[in-house]
Amino acid sequence: MNSVNLAYEFDLSVIGPALPTLLDGLWLTLKVATITIVASAVLGFPLAVARMSKIEVIRWPAQLYIEVFRCTPLLIQLLWVFYALPALLGVDLPGELSIIIALTAHLTAFMSETYRAGMQSVPVEQIEAARMLRLNRVQILRHIIVPQAFRQQIPTILSLNVSMFKDTSLISALGQADLTFQGNILASQTYRPMEIFTLVALIYFSIAFPATLFTSYIERRLITSGSRGAPPPASGLRGTLARMRPGQRPVELSRPALKSLLKPEGV
Amino acid sequence: MTEAKPTLDKTPDADTGTATVTDAVPDDAFLRTRGVSKSFHGRHVLKEADFRIGSGEIAVLIGKSGSGKSTLLRVIAGLEEPDAGDIDLAGQAVVRDGEYQEAWKELQGQIGMIFQSYTLWPHMNVLDNLTIAPRLALGETEAQLLDRAERALTEVGMAHHLRSRCTQLSGGERQRVAIARALMMRPRLLLCDEITSALDPPVAAEVLGVLTKLKEEEGIACGIVTHDMAFASKAADRICFFEDGLIKEDVPPEHAFNDPQTPGLQAFIDAVRF
Repeated sequence: MNSVNLAYEFDLSVIGPALPTLLDGLWLTLKVATITIVASAVLGFPLAVARMSKIEVIRWPAQLYIEVFRCTPLLIQLLWVFYALPALLGVDLPGELSIIIALTAHLTAFMSETYRAGMQSVPVEQIEAARMLRLNRVQILRHIIVPQAFRQQIPTILSLNVSMFKDTSLISALGQADLTFQGNILASQTYRPMEIFTLVALIYFSIAFPATLFTSYIERRLITSGSRGAPPPASGLRGTLARMRPGQRPVELSRPALKSLLKPEGV
Repeated sequence: MTEAKPTLDKTPDADTGTATVTDAVPDDAFLRTRGVSKSFHGRHVLKEADFRIGSGEIAVLIGKSGSGKSTLLRVIAGLEEPDAGDIDLAGQAVVRDGEYQEAWKELQGQIGMIFQSYTLWPHMNVLDNLTIAPRLALGETEAQLLDRAERALTEVGMAHHLRSRCTQLSGGERQRVAIARALMMRPRLLLCDEITSALDPPVAAEVLGVLTKLKEEEGIACGIVTHDMAFASKAADRICFFEDGLIKEDVPPEHAFNDPQTPGLQAFIDAVRF
């Protein structure tokens, strides 16, 4: 078994010349991630509503879409949209547009499930109380369910978005000049993969870590405010570790609410 | 204001086991149901319920869990559709043969309901909980509603909590705010489904005291499902005993507690005797 080469000498002189190229790649990474996150945040909502519909011809396609994108690898989805979709549609899709479509389609499936979980965690009695106070379905959704669901799911949503930011590195496999792609090129050119890939990892970390800290902060605030009806997190090391895991939160124990909302009102 | 209490034939019907209303009962009940039934997955939870509540009257529904009390309230509230039967509200037919009539749309706003769990919306403060429904459903303005919200909270002894966050309130305070929220829609009939089950006895007594006050001062009809027999004996105008989906007795409280006519009510009273 080979031993670890502790005598490796870092050549930090490659970092300075590499930075402009890496920042160029970071720009594409951030652009793709931002467009994908915003588009998925918007598209996830109608998909979640369709997924909860009582009408089967609406619910089933939504469910099929979600399962397809949840149960296939993201890289395969990227390859399929990049190579197969243009052939299927007979159009020439620009590479950047293809990857944004694929990443958005992927994240939308996860966002919709997050929205759905949030909406269904609102206790059914709250919906029934709203019905008794003569709020209509749209008003109940707008003023009662969505605000609570969104607050409930903020940590999960932020966590998904951080994951998406990291997953954009897969687009380098399609020749897109993102941060990972540029790092790969530089590592080949300089023969210093250790320095270059460490730097690339640090750049990803410097963006993702504050985001995960922010996620944990939001989560703690929501729990402290009691708006999520959850018990306070455990103290000590266990609690600290639990709080540091983005998206981790106490299990919700509420009954499905949308069942009541989508039910006929009697007339 | 309390109307004359109805007199009921306390002898259970030989076929159905249901106490039957005598001819002496006035027909001016604010709410009246006839033959209302409801099944869930083939199980008959409510069987041909004949029930009434007059304005300014408190009817307390008692019985074991699963006997149909809450289902009757939910059917009256419109949260469950009846399979069969008629419902009259304020003298108008709102359900006929299990079908909602046109009058239901107009009259359903006269029914308020309070639930066992605290149903205040936690992302809003007390004022917003009280005003959002009249603002959105009735189109009332914020200025009008602020004054009404203050009065509604005063009614339930919570005037100093107008701007409080709901998550800061105790269980009893939340239920009182829930009552105030229902009052904002000016209901003539208030249905309460085990609203004190999760409360300590003194707090439960406070909440139920609010209902008694509303009945006496506002003439609101109340249908209350409760296991608090002390309250039932003191505040109820009528006790309706449910067993296996049937209303077995519908009698004044003194009769229910001192002279139960059915073995079921006798056993229930013995079990919960305070």
